[in-house]
Formats: sequence, structure tokens, C-alpha cells
Amino acid sequence: MKDDYLWDGSGEPDPEVQKLENVLGRYRHDQPAPAFDQLVAEKPARRRWSFPLSRLSFQLAAIAAVVLIGVATFFVIRVRQEKYSGPAWEIARIEGAPRVGWHSLSANSESARLKVGQTLVTDNSSRASITLDETGTIEVDPASRLRVIASGPNRKRLSLERGTIHATIWAPPGEFVVDTPSAQAVDLGCVYTLHVDDSGAGLLRTTMGWVGFKLNGHESFIPAGAVCATRPKIGPGTPYFEDASASFRDALAKFDFTKITPQERHALLGILLVDARKEDALTLWHLLSRVNDAERPGVYDRLAALAPPPQDITREGILHLDQKMLDSWWNSLGYGDVYLWHTYERTWSDRTPTSK
Amino acid sequence: MGHVLDFRTASMERRAVIAQPTTDTSADDALVSAARAGDRSAFGLLYDRYARMVHGILLCRVPPREVDDLVQEVFLLALRKLDSLRDISRFGAWLSTITRNRANDHYRRANRAELPMEQEEEEKAEGRANDHVAEQEAAMTLAVLRTLPETYREPLMLRLVEGMTGPEIATRMGLTHGSVRVNLHRGMQMLREKLAEKAAPWTERNARANKASGQNE
Repeated sequence: MKDDYLWDGSGEPDPEVQKLENVLGRYRHDQPAPAFDQLVAEKPARRRWSFPLSRLSFQLAAIAAVVLIGVATFFVIRVRQEKYSGPAWEIARIEGAPRVGWHSLSANSESARLKVGQTLVTDNSSRASITLDETGTIEVDPASRLRVIASGPNRKRLSLERGTIHATIWAPPGEFVVDTPSAQAVDLGCVYTLHVDDSGAGLLRTTMGWVGFKLNGHESFIPAGAVCATRPKIGPGTPYFEDASASFRDALAKFDFTKITPQERHALLGILLVDARKEDALTLWHLLSRVNDAERPGVYDRLAALAPPPQDITREGILHLDQKMLDSWWNSLGYGDVYLWHTYERTWSDRTPTSK
Repeated sequence: MGHVLDFRTASMERRAVIAQPTTDTSADDALVSAARAGDRSAFGLLYDRYARMVHGILLCRVPPREVDDLVQEVFLLALRKLDSLRDISRFGAWLSTITRNRANDHYRRANRAELPMEQEEEEKAEGRANDHVAEQEAAMTLAVLRTLPETYREPLMLRLVEGMTGPEIATRMGLTHGSVRVNLHRGMQMLREKLAEKAAPWTERNARANKASGQNE
């Protein structure tokens, strides 16, 4: 690859790259660091607590003090309650009459809240959305049941028992998870759709960013444009891009979820390796740790042909499932930094998905 | 140990690529630790080092005129959440994810269904508002760059717009040199092809503009 100038500005300048640098340089960042001290200090200033005490008469000051003590007591009690239950999600009715417990949200309803332990239920003709300011917004399709499990600081956890949600999450990665009967979806910075059918099987489709999907140590990473199915007691299958060939997708579904003979398994793996395109490196990387020792060399060779591994990776290491090498190869695919998963997955590792 | 660039001066200059002697990434770790302990000047230095990365990632996703405000928002959010960062050596990767999330937030707040059209219209409007041909060319080039797949768009934006080198992009974002180099190479190829498709009408327009300015003189 003769791209030294593009890489680090060394070597003979590439006129085309230089021209692009000149043309686009006008958009370059040029703002100095703001005064973070002031910006942080501005927040409390927004609170309207500045009473002109010095101008009050003694009597008024005494009354104000009593009122302040009352207000302070009220807020202390309230904060304690909120600490216990966490912030509530704001519910907005989109259509029909979604309900929380016995309370039904009609067209004229004021805004409602969804607290820890409560379940939002939509029937076949109703839809709703729930929003939490620092976390994200979730649209809940008809025929769904969505429960709030936890709502503490840095930990937002829902359970989709049935139906479909469309999640747009802007909380830092790893702070938001959704349990389903067959896997747990950990947000890693993304927009995604999650569906759970009546049997507890699920399907996750990522539109932007990526999502981690796991059950009992069985993990899948789903970047934008990819989908991943789950089955109760099995967990997440192997993720794949939706534009993969039909034969590839069919073979993968059977490989992941059906009872097959060793001969059938061999044949299915053959289809996956032959039909895999460059983009399907996503699927082959996951297969590395899902196939047996005898099958792994074939998967390695095909993946290496489609997406050459970084220099720090050896065939031997991958065949022995060296985690650092697997991580390095994943990172080189450019779908997301696996560090995020290892960091945040641990924080949820003591919380298992709900079982049916 | 890869090259690490000193942003404290680089961020304020408009040279194409600014390569300076390597400093240890542990300097960043020390700044993150100090910032977590409440040292605002340390956080200011982190801003100097990472602002171009944040700016470039945002520029991949939101209109240019809104990027500067969002850069500030991202750093304020990072400052508030700094305690939740478990491995301080991964500050760059963590910050870039927060940045993408903030851009997603922007994406969400606009009407999701209409956003692509809105962005396209905004870019056209920016192009119309720019009288100078060079500015129009810049707006068009940026718009084409933003149509590339995310994997290629970010490193190219950081390289061509923000003037970061490949090693610097890898270090700041916590990626391997190999992946960044491959993505720069492939992204540049794709960008060339897309720009070539648009080149004909632009060449024609530039020629017309030059001719008109020649006549005026």
C-alpha cells in the first residue's frame, strides 16, 4: 500500500490528498477550550434560590426560614424516595389506549410515568413511547409488554416480555440494557429494534452504532445493518448482515438453532464458508468461537482471506481462541471497540436475563 | 509505541498535517486521573488533545454550523461522567462513543424519517449561501465525504478535515494502526470514485465562474 502521505503526511505528497486537505481545511476545529469551571458552575446558577435576604425585615426572614425548612424537608424526603426508585420514564401515547397497570392512557390523558416495577402494555391497536432524559427514547409497538426493572444512576434496565420496541439511546454505552426471555441486549451506542415473540424467541436489528447480545456467556455483537436472532435456552445466534445471500442466511439459521447431524453440520458450514462475502467477516468472526477445534482452521482461513488479520495475530493464537487476538481482529473489522463490551458487560454480569 | 501528537498548538493551526515528536500516552492517562480528581486545567488539556477528534466525529453526522456547540456539550457530558470510565487508558475510545451518542441524540431530535432530506437541503442551502466557488466546492466535497460508510468516513474526516495523522487517529480512538490504515486507504478510494462522478458538472461550473470573473475584469 503506497499511501504514506495519506497515512502520516510523510513521503511524496499526494496532490489529490493535498487538494482535499486544502478544500476541507475550512471546516477544521479551531475553538479554544471553554472555561469548564464556569460552565460547570453555571448549572447551579439556574436554580432560582437567590432571595434578597438582606432586604427582608426580621419577621419576613423568620417566616422565610420556616418555609425554607419545610421546603428543604420536603425535598430531602423526595430525593430519598427518588434514590430508592430511580427516575421514571415519561410515557407518551402515540395511538390507541396503552396502559400501565389498571390505568389506561386515552387521547385526553395527561402525561404519565413508568416507574420501576411497572409494566407498559399495548394491545393490538395501541402504541406508545417512553423517554428518559439522559438515557434515550423507546417506541413501543402494538401487542407489547415492557417492564422497568431498574432505573438507578448509570443503570437503566427494562424487560421486553413480548412485542417490539424501537430504541434510540444516547446514554453512554453500557448504561442501558433490555432483558428478553432469551437474551439480554446491552446498548453500546445505538439505534435498534428488538422483537420478542410469544415463545420468547427474539430478533435484534441494529440501525446505527452496535449492540451486544448475550445469554449465560454466549455473546453476539450486532453492528449497524446486521441482525441477530435468539432462542430460549440457546441464547443469541450468530449475527449476519441482512443483505447476505439467502443460502447463507438459511444455512446460518439451521447451524445456530436446529438439531443436526455432524454430516449436516459439516455441509452447512461449507455453505457458510463458500457463500461468505467480505461483509460476512462479521459472521465468520463470531463462528470462530462457536465451531469445534476441527472446524476452526477452515473458518480461520476463510476469514483471513476475506478480512486479513492485523499483524499482531497468529493463526495458532486464534485456533486456541486467544481472547486478545480475537479482540484485536474484531477491532480491525471496524464495527466498534470490543473494549466497550468487556468493560460494560462486566458491570451487568451479575444480572441474568429474566427466564420464562 | 506509536506517534502521539501534541494538540495544544496543533488545534489552533490550519496546516495540513502536524507531526510532532512522540509523547507517551501515559501523559493522557495522567491528565484523565487529574481531571477525575477535579483538576479542571487537566480537563482543559484533554480538550486540547481530543477536541479535533470529537469535532471530526460530529462533523460526520451533523450540519457543520451545529458542531461547535455539540463539541462543548460532549466535553461537558464527559466531565460529568468521567467517574464512570473504568479504564483510564481507554479515554479516547470512551469519548468517541459518547460523541457518537450525542450525534445520535441530534439525529433523534430531528425527525428521523425526514433527516436525510433535511440534511441534504441544509447542505444545498449552505452551498447556495456560499458565493465563492471554493466554498461551494468545500460544501460539496464534505457532503460527498459524509455519504461514505461510517467505517471509512470517520478516519477520513479526521485525516482530511482535522489534519490528524493515521497513527494519531489510531492512538486517540483506541484502534489498531492496521485497521485505521486500511480504512483510510479504502475510504480514499471510495471518495475518489464518488468525487469523480460529481467532477464533470463542477468542472463545468468552475469554468463558467472563471470565465465570468475574467469578463468582469
